[in-house]
Amino acid sequence: MADVKCAFIVQRPQYKGETSRLALTHALSYQTVEVLLDDGDTVTPSLCFVGEGVLGISKGQNAMAPYGINSSELHVKNCLLVDLDVYVCKEDLEKYGIPEDQLPDAADMEAEKTINVVPFAEIEKIMEEAKHVLFF
Amino acid sequence: MKLGVLVSDYKICVETIDRMKSDNLGLVLVQNGVYHAVLKEGGKESSLLGKTPRLYVLSEDLQSRGLSAEQVDKRVKVIDYSGLVDVIFNDFDKVAWL
Repeated sequence: MADVKCAFIVQRPQYKGETSRLALTHALSYQTVEVLLDDGDTVTPSLCFVGEGVLGISKGQNAMAPYGINSSELHVKNCLLVDLDVYVCKEDLEKYGIPEDQLPDAADMEAEKTINVVPFAEIEKIMEEAKHVLFF
Repeated sequence: MKLGVLVSDYKICVETIDRMKSDNLGLVLVQNGVYHAVLKEGGKESSLLGKTPRLYVLSEDLQSRGLSAEQVDKRVKVIDYSGLVDVIFNDFDKVAWL
């Protein structure tokens, strides 16, 4: 029995395509449903936002009103609610001029986890430690 | 030619726009193209903002992404879908989507 680490790396903004949204839903499903890669294995997903991926997680999103779809912000909050580890690249936030207080938390949902703003070196370490690295 | 270009990506559109020949270019920033109107990457605004004085951004796509009209560069006019229809029909001979 092993703990299999999976790293979901989001490198594209949300909404234009389904790709970046899939990273959130896949990571969320690994955290909440017993998805086994092999019998007896447990899976620990990590969700990381890098590059243009950091653009898609600002708080205050409202995609429901104009387009009738749930916002990516809500997906991120759900990830935090189920104790998924969410990481955002510090250098890329700075590159795009996004302040850390623009990132959402899920305190209103009584989540204990918050987003981890980390240097890219730490995200590299997460990728190194993961058995499977998936880019979206 | 009055050419209207709907810019729907952040990174990949700039070189294509540089190659387009139009004496009357208009840029409509939609979908992920709206980041051109707001972001200052590395402290610098998007180079698209200097391509033409006729710049528009779609309010619904700002709203979806948690961005507000107050964050938009002053050179860019914020329009809604109704305004977009007016711009497409009244201001351009041709419209391209990137």
